[in-house]
Amino acid sequence: MVNYIFDGSFDGLMTVVYEAYYSHQKPNDIFSEGNHQINFLGHDVYVSTDIDKSNKVQDAIETKISKEALRNIYYVYLSELESSYMLIYKYIRLGFKIGKKLDYFIQNDIVHEMTKLSQRVKHEAYKMIELIRFKEVKKGLFLAKIHPDYNVLPTIMPHFAERFQDQYFIIHDEKRNLSAVYDKKAWIITDIPLENISKVKDTKDYEILWKIYHKSIAIKERKNMKLQMQHMPKKYWDMLTEKQ
Amino acid sequence: MDLLEKIRILADAAKYDVSCSSSGSDRKNKNGGIGNASFYGICHSWSEDGRCISLLKILFTNICIYDCSYCVNRCTNDVERALFTSDELADITINFYRRNYIEGLFLSSAVYKSPDYTMELLIKTVKKLREEYNFNGYIHLKAIPGADVNLIRMAGLYADRMSVNIELPSERSLKLLAPQKTKESIIKPMSFIHNQLLEKSESKKLMRYTDKFVPAGQTTQLIIGATPESDRTILRLSENLYKHYDLKRVYYSAYIPVSNDSNISKVTSPPLLREHRLYQADWLLRYYNFKADELLTEEEPNFDISLDPKINWAMKNLNLFPVEINTADYNMLLKVPGIGLRAAKRIVKARKATHLSYDSLKKLGVVLKRAKYFITCNGKYYAECNIEADKIKGKLTSKNRILDGQLSIFDIDNSLSNLPIIV
Repeated sequence: MVNYIFDGSFDGLMTVVYEAYYSHQKPNDIFSEGNHQINFLGHDVYVSTDIDKSNKVQDAIETKISKEALRNIYYVYLSELESSYMLIYKYIRLGFKIGKKLDYFIQNDIVHEMTKLSQRVKHEAYKMIELIRFKEVKKGLFLAKIHPDYNVLPTIMPHFAERFQDQYFIIHDEKRNLSAVYDKKAWIITDIPLENISKVKDTKDYEILWKIYHKSIAIKERKNMKLQMQHMPKKYWDMLTEKQ
Repeated sequence: MDLLEKIRILADAAKYDVSCSSSGSDRKNKNGGIGNASFYGICHSWSEDGRCISLLKILFTNICIYDCSYCVNRCTNDVERALFTSDELADITINFYRRNYIEGLFLSSAVYKSPDYTMELLIKTVKKLREEYNFNGYIHLKAIPGADVNLIRMAGLYADRMSVNIELPSERSLKLLAPQKTKESIIKPMSFIHNQLLEKSESKKLMRYTDKFVPAGQTTQLIIGATPESDRTILRLSENLYKHYDLKRVYYSAYIPVSNDSNISKVTSPPLLREHRLYQADWLLRYYNFKADELLTEEEPNFDISLDPKINWAMKNLNLFPVEINTADYNMLLKVPGIGLRAAKRIVKARKATHLSYDSLKKLGVVLKRAKYFITCNGKYYAECNIEADKIKGKLTSKNRILDGQLSIFDIDNSLSNLPIIV
């Protein structure tokens, strides 16, 4: 039995799957670098990321199981939960055994766990698409700050890049110190720190107009704060202009 | 008057329009412009009443020549009045959009000077957005009753969705409460939009490119509780609208007293629970293949407010139950209380892989609390009582269910006191 350790990247995880298959050494556990716990079962093997091997695994998942399965795996990976790596490995093994029908096995614990977790990550990505608020911090430059539980930044960028084609913008993940930057042509994610990020303000007056709008549109005879909170969880309120 | 005041007054005046959905259109962002539409719609915020805010829902003006007694903006009402300019509205829309506050604009208006004049003002605004700002986000436009059909057609070329509000569920009520509007002035634009949509879909078959005309279709709204129509009258009206005008949605708005007109039923608080039951029934019509006449009869024209309409129906048709989960067809699964669209689809899918056990149903999204009275799994009936209407009803209306079941979206203390008291 082996404990695999990888660099934490998605390609790294896929390389682990590749090695585990071709070395015929089943993993006891899989760790990302830095989160490795001393374990008396099995010995440690460090796997260095190999893009070719990763692509081979991804292609195999797509053709032998389904595109949907690969998407699920990616979303579960973005959960960043240490326990998700073994889950993904087991899911892929099961998938290679069962093939295209994998998703029919909703009753199976591994499939159920994967579906549940990927849905949780997708749900948060969707919440970000709804609730991100940009500020125009300089003429023509828009900035939004987020702190999602899961690492959803890469999944929401295509949406905003398509929508705001004519707008320079940055979405900054405060929790992971990552910034996604769009320059009207393409976007990248970088960990270069932004200056004065904590003090940024909107340079125009639309925030106050939005707050007035938000207040006026509510029907006071139907007041229902519980329902509001159900859709806009309190943990995101500090992102929301209308809740400041 | 400054912009702040205008927004305050004209958002407040627009709030009774229920619709805020931004779905049904997949308009693309063209030529490096701003915005696109998302087919399933996106909500961006929720107001303190818990309703979603997707579009900037606002009136162009609340200065009105009409005197409809149910309406807060009637000309004889003493309220603050305001009027936007097209430039102001377009600028606010774009700047809200850039900050991801909204998915687009829902522009409506009181009837200012004349229906045609008002319609022209709305068109001017959306034309500016589409052509000057290259805005491709969602636009929902109100068709002003009585406006010329050529204006409606022009508006439809810019809008993703249009709506004409029927408001009052019968002609009699309309005459009584809105004497300046006629049934024709409402139905005419509605059927015009419908015919245009039919024409477009025909010509699409012949031509590769046709102009977009309200790609997300049209909707309407009915006020609940201001006039004495029964649930059955309302639901049959909705069914006809879906069938004959191919509406995307009928919205129901619990009447909130805004004037003391003697023609209006006395409502002490908005009939929110009744509104909720109508929405549930509306869903049954559109997605669950129910018919209005199956749900309500002449003898019982109103819903039992303590049960959801699907359970209500199942109780009256207990001879069809229980159904066997492992063999029942999709349509029958849909009719089981506690099995929604998603659960039904998943059952059908999972059955292909293996035989389903009772315990696995929860994983598939079945709400066993309700479903167990109406199903068998591998021939076994799992509920603790016999399949008899009185017993099941007792279980399903117990206090617990009201507290943690479907009604929880309402303020618990108010859920039953909200029923309208019609004098």
